Amino acid sequence: MNHWIIAPLVLPLVAGMLSLLLVARPGLQRALSVGATAGLLPVTLLLLCFAGNGEFGVYPLGNWPAPFGIVLVLDRLTALMLLLTAVLALLVLLHAVNGDDRRGRDFHVLFQLQLLGINGAFLTGDLFNLFVFFEILLIASYGLALHGGGAERTRASLHYVVLNLIGSALFLIAVGTLYAAAGTLNMADLAVKVAAAPPENAGLLRAAALLLLAVFGLKAALLPLHLWLPALYGHATAPVAALFAIMTKVGVYAILRSYTLIFPADGAGSDVGQWLLPLALLTLAAGAVGVLGSQRLRVLVAYLVVVSVGTLLAGIGLFNSGGIGAALYYLPHTTLVSAGLFLLADLIARQRGSHGDDFVLGPPLAQPTRLGVLFFLGAVAAAGLPPLSGFLGKLLLLQAVAPAQAGWLWSIVLIGSLAGLIALSRAGSRIFWKTAGDRAVAGQAPLTHLAPAAVLLAMSIAMTVFAAPLIRYTEATAAQLLAPQQYINAVLGAQP
Amino acid sequence: MNLLFVILLPLLGALLPPLAIRFGRSASAWTAAAITLAALLFALEPLTTVFAGTPLEAHWAWLPQAGLDIHLRMDGLAALFVLLILGIGLLVILYARYYLAERDPMGRFYGLLLLFMGAMLGIALSDHLLQLLVFWELTSLSSFLLISYWHHRSDARRGARMALAITGAGGLALLAGFLLLGHIVGSYRIVDVLDAGDLIRAHPLYLPTLLLILLGAFTKSAQFPFHFWLPHAMAAPTPVSAYLHSATMVKAGVFLLARLYPALSGTDPWFFLVGGIGLATLLFAAYTALFQHDLKGLLAYSTISHLGLITLLFGIDTPLAAVAGVFHIINHATFKASLFMAAGIIDHETGTRDMRLINGLWKYMPHTATLAMVAASAMAGVPLLNGFLSKEMFFAETLHLSALGALSWILPAAATLAGVFAVAYSARFIHDVFFNGEPIDLPKYPPHEPPRYMKIPVEILVTLCLLVGILPAFTVAPLLDLAAGAVLHGPVPAYSLAIWHGFTLPFAMSLVALTGGIALYSQRHRLFALHDRVFPEVDARALFWIAIERVMDAAHAMTRALENGSQQRYAALLLLAALAAIALPLLGGGVPLGGPVPAAPIDALTLLGALVMMAAAILTVVWQRRRLVAVVALSVVGLVVSLAFVRWSAPDLALTQLSVEVVTIVLLLLALYFLPQQGPAESSPLRRGRDLLLAAGVGGGVGLLAWGMFTRPYATIANYYVENSLSGGGGANVVNVILVDFRGFDTLGEITVLAIAAIGIYALLNNLRLDMPATDAGGRPWSGERYPLVLAQLTRFLLPLALLVSVYLFLRGHNAPGGGFIAGLVTAVALILQYMASGIDWTQQRWRLQYHPIIAAGVLIAAATGAGSWLFDRPFLTSAFGHFHLPLAGEFELATAMLFDLGVYLTVVGVVMLILANLGKLTQRCAACKEGE
Amino acid sequence: MMEAVAALTLAVLVTCGVYLVLRARTFPVVLGLSLLSYAVNLFLFFTGRLVTGAPPLAGGSAPVADPIPQALVLTAIVIGFGMTAFVVILALRARGELGSDHVDGREEER
Repeated sequence: MNHWIIAPLVLPLVAGMLSLLLVARPGLQRALSVGATAGLLPVTLLLLCFAGNGEFGVYPLGNWPAPFGIVLVLDRLTALMLLLTAVLALLVLLHAVNGDDRRGRDFHVLFQLQLLGINGAFLTGDLFNLFVFFEILLIASYGLALHGGGAERTRASLHYVVLNLIGSALFLIAVGTLYAAAGTLNMADLAVKVAAAPPENAGLLRAAALLLLAVFGLKAALLPLHLWLPALYGHATAPVAALFAIMTKVGVYAILRSYTLIFPADGAGSDVGQWLLPLALLTLAAGAVGVLGSQRLRVLVAYLVVVSVGTLLAGIGLFNSGGIGAALYYLPHTTLVSAGLFLLADLIARQRGSHGDDFVLGPPLAQPTRLGVLFFLGAVAAAGLPPLSGFLGKLLLLQAVAPAQAGWLWSIVLIGSLAGLIALSRAGSRIFWKTAGDRAVAGQAPLTHLAPAAVLLAMSIAMTVFAAPLIRYTEATAAQLLAPQQYINAVLGAQP
Repeated sequence: MNLLFVILLPLLGALLPPLAIRFGRSASAWTAAAITLAALLFALEPLTTVFAGTPLEAHWAWLPQAGLDIHLRMDGLAALFVLLILGIGLLVILYARYYLAERDPMGRFYGLLLLFMGAMLGIALSDHLLQLLVFWELTSLSSFLLISYWHHRSDARRGARMALAITGAGGLALLAGFLLLGHIVGSYRIVDVLDAGDLIRAHPLYLPTLLLILLGAFTKSAQFPFHFWLPHAMAAPTPVSAYLHSATMVKAGVFLLARLYPALSGTDPWFFLVGGIGLATLLFAAYTALFQHDLKGLLAYSTISHLGLITLLFGIDTPLAAVAGVFHIINHATFKASLFMAAGIIDHETGTRDMRLINGLWKYMPHTATLAMVAASAMAGVPLLNGFLSKEMFFAETLHLSALGALSWILPAAATLAGVFAVAYSARFIHDVFFNGEPIDLPKYPPHEPPRYMKIPVEILVTLCLLVGILPAFTVAPLLDLAAGAVLHGPVPAYSLAIWHGFTLPFAMSLVALTGGIALYSQRHRLFALHDRVFPEVDARALFWIAIERVMDAAHAMTRALENGSQQRYAALLLLAALAAIALPLLGGGVPLGGPVPAAPIDALTLLGALVMMAAAILTVVWQRRRLVAVVALSVVGLVVSLAFVRWSAPDLALTQLSVEVVTIVLLLLALYFLPQQGPAESSPLRRGRDLLLAAGVGGGVGLLAWGMFTRPYATIANYYVENSLSGGGGANVVNVILVDFRGFDTLGEITVLAIAAIGIYALLNNLRLDMPATDAGGRPWSGERYPLVLAQLTRFLLPLALLVSVYLFLRGHNAPGGGFIAGLVTAVALILQYMASGIDWTQQRWRLQYHPIIAAGVLIAAATGAGSWLFDRPFLTSAFGHFHLPLAGEFELATAMLFDLGVYLTVVGVVMLILANLGKLTQRCAACKEGE
Repeated sequence: MMEAVAALTLAVLVTCGVYLVLRARTFPVVLGLSLLSYAVNLFLFFTGRLVTGAPPLAGGSAPVADPIPQALVLTAIVIGFGMTAFVVILALRARGELGSDHVDGREEER
């Protein structure tokens, strides 16, 4: 019995609640929060090693066998997402403890519970339990999005909250329909029951599948459900925006999981099989337009997130091992890099005084070289230029589709890169080069404040150097996802 | 291995000069030079083998999955470029040491220069398409950073961005082209590609592949109509212009043409595209160069035109033409680099590059003048200089061409015309700058010779021009042979590098070019006037920036139009998606909506309930603007919902729904206290109609779903729970057992949600300032001092009772309707009543309740209960229970599930109290602050 | 017949909820969300079909209503309560920060 599987949930839950008890002791609260987040690293690494050799970890909560009890399932995909979350969370938190965490109440509590929700969504093997974890990560994200207050944040958050409340309602309708038609909630069991469903239930099942796409699409910011994202990410406190880089990926994860396991694209999920790719490409295009049109660095990065969602879902939408493998390599890259850029944008804004991160004539930065190098690194990675991981990811994606029908995907992905290139070079030139006056208006950022962003962006280099093993892992993951029978056997076969 | 070092040394060495700069400028320069020399040393051994006639290959596995391994290969062509890159690089490093001013950050300069050098070497040595592309983009990036070296200057910034945008776009096209090529050939190895020429040319994808690859090559080599970035790249320091933008980087495009010549050439598209573009560029740029007043501008356009010439030579598509192309690559690199350096010296010494000011420098800097004049003559194609040889080969090739049939005369004519212009602008460079009267108010006066070492590179290059020009057979021949062989991927045709072929037609063309050029230049004043009259200044740069700004504005407008910050639109889109998701399968699927199961008859009471519920819901909508009434209508809906739960055998739900209902309504009333009591009428009839339609659609869809599921047979895993509830969960109330045991994890999550909600709300209410609405409503009991005495007494008496009830509900929960959640709500409601009746102060004087700890404790207890099962090595939340005999209560059951339920109870109490009490405080504060005013 | 009425009721509830959610002021939106959550809870409850007079208590021999949907609805109600509470307070906050109870925090420009 491998109790480690549930550690990524218990750790943040307990840490969050304890730090709620420690409201009066902010220092201790910080230490606890950082400690717990750091603790996630070895745990998730351990789980990755476990899942790395193709095994499935099945954890029957309450010792009830699937499909009756709730099970946590650890496979390659889940392990990857958990590790990514842990790395991201730790670095973001290290940035936050430079002061952002004191700009509102209970930051660390919300942060930990946000992690609980995210990890839970990755781990659970039960559809309704997935709903519960979505609610946890959503309510926590509401709190975090509002962290720091202010009119813009409040407005963006209000929209975000209302939309997601509607989304939750739709989620429940979808779950209900699915239960009414298949009579179970465990994902593996659902896969079996859906595949064996009588034809007269097809209508209900298709409706459920599409409703889920709408719900997950809202989380992942799939066009036309992406409109809430730029305002929210563009105005959230820097560490929050950086952490949210993983939130859209939760939606992507849910889509990938559902339409490889429960509704295989070549089976019950045929609608999604047809729709996902075009929608993803449209998202990519809309994001690229947004990138070109943005007039603030953070908003630009927010649109880069939209672009990345489009790219990821385009890869997944191919529903072949090449595409999914490419997406899975691109996913950590884009998450870490966009998070790094959000933090960097914050550092830049602090050094430009009242001009913030607007693309306007501003004072020179206090640390032009350091921040400049970081920005260049991030820009190259984000625009998908050689030699960094962004390029490799896009290369894999372009190779995953046969040239005969590659037209749309290739041109949109490549033109998207060009848009990023133009916009980012403009942004860099405006912020770092086109400066007024020769004296910096703000002090320098200490190393502790620079380091997290630097490490996040440097991850792109690491992902390039260690591309070979990484891609081996992601391709194995794609293969595992495309052969769901293993998953089903592992879950339904596991008797406590 | 050496090949790899040749590339890696500069790439990694790029970090050193910036570090070395703290030991002085010379230190930095020497580091750069040393690294270049080292690379040259490593290149020596491969070079010798290559010259011995055997190409050198090296391979390291890196990314087989992406088809990305490291394949290096040095053949003749690569060798030629390696020599150019390293040789000229060395000279440029020396030159720049004296060119750069004290205040220029020299470390950065050399670092970037080495970075570029490494990338360029990578292009030359790559034996793998994708790997070549990686280096290709790297050169674009380093060129971007070098052009913007003086980034305080707007022209530098803009020139850099323009260059990056154009070459970057080309690079992306090239990527697509390479992917196609790799797909056709089945390998990205260039050697394989070269062997597969026929396969490629026959392939249906040949044309798109060719187009994409040419797009890459033409943008990089500044071919018409993508040429305009190059003149603006001249904002870079002159060493950069000499190195990147004349000798090496812009040659990458023609290098690519040469590299893939065996694979892609030999077709009509190739001939017309490459030849046509080359010819157009050659003529257009040669003509434009003549009218530049900026020294570097003239050189830039002449570079473009020479690149066009080389492109045209490869386009002509005969072996000899290819040889001539390679030859001209060498020659152009030597004389143009030296010319740029000379221009840099003049700029450096006079402080301007405007040829209308710079005149008669002969008597101030004769040495430099001599060098410059020799180089310029080479550019013009004067005999005894290298330019002459390749140009004559070019003329000869234009003559042999018959592909154009009757129009074959066009090409030689055009070539000669281009020659005329070339001579003319070379003449201008010489005469205008070094003679032609006296200099006109130069920023630096009088100009004088530059530092000794600044001239050495120029001298070396000019010497090369002469040597190659006079003794081609003994100098350049072997290299040219080797390179040409590599380009042709086969035997090199016989050609002679003699200076004198007798009085041939090509020679005649050269003479025409020379005399014509001189004549043209002598008439320059009229010509300039004519030019200004006929061709009004078309500034491609301005057009480019207008285009870019247009695109960005358009993008901004589009984004704004789509994402207008309107909540209503976003919500409508989401609901529309939901509608589509439901409607498409149900209506489009061709599956019957209803199923076989017959519907049950309905009784009057149920029908009445349904009618009441619908009526109440509709009234909520109708009265939405009279908000208090709307809340009442809403609460009616809630009540009927709980009745529905009772009606269809779900007592637990009914209880829960009821208690939640109470709290929610209280909450809404309190909230209303701060919101306008009346909503304005704003949405237009049109919008209302649209919304109603959408709403009806979604509602109908959900109704259909419900109908669909009601009428379908139904098999679930439910029985398992009923059977195992007592035996496995120790409770008769299956719902409760599911909540605390089978699916206890959901409940843990659920109370966590509650806890987070409370925390978030607490943060929201914290230092929230709200003005009191003029009208008052629902919140009245909170506002003033008037506490209805009866109610106060009543609640104080009720409170213990309510607590008792909640304990009872709690304990029976496991076996009969009830449980921690409901008990918690009952407690909370009792306490709230207390608040309402007696006011905050009274209540809080009596209990000092800290709600945060209660919440935390609740969740932690639940979690700890779950973790407890680890002690018995059971999974999280495994329950245990036993029956105990208590003296009074009799047979009594105790289950860990109850501990879990206790956690639920505490959390619920804490959460509800936290929310309502703080909202209450808020009302009081506002009441206070209102009285204060 | 009973099923038809139930479905119709659901349809009306959802329609009203959606219509209110699409209004421009926070308060009607809150009302709409509450209506929606009522409807959704009912829908979820109905997935267990309409069983009369057989509450899911173990031990008896007679078949009882499906307890799963009831458990799910219970969880849904609680979560829904938390969410409603949050959005209500957020509406207050928004009015405090933005000075208007319009969902976009600004008065409609006409």
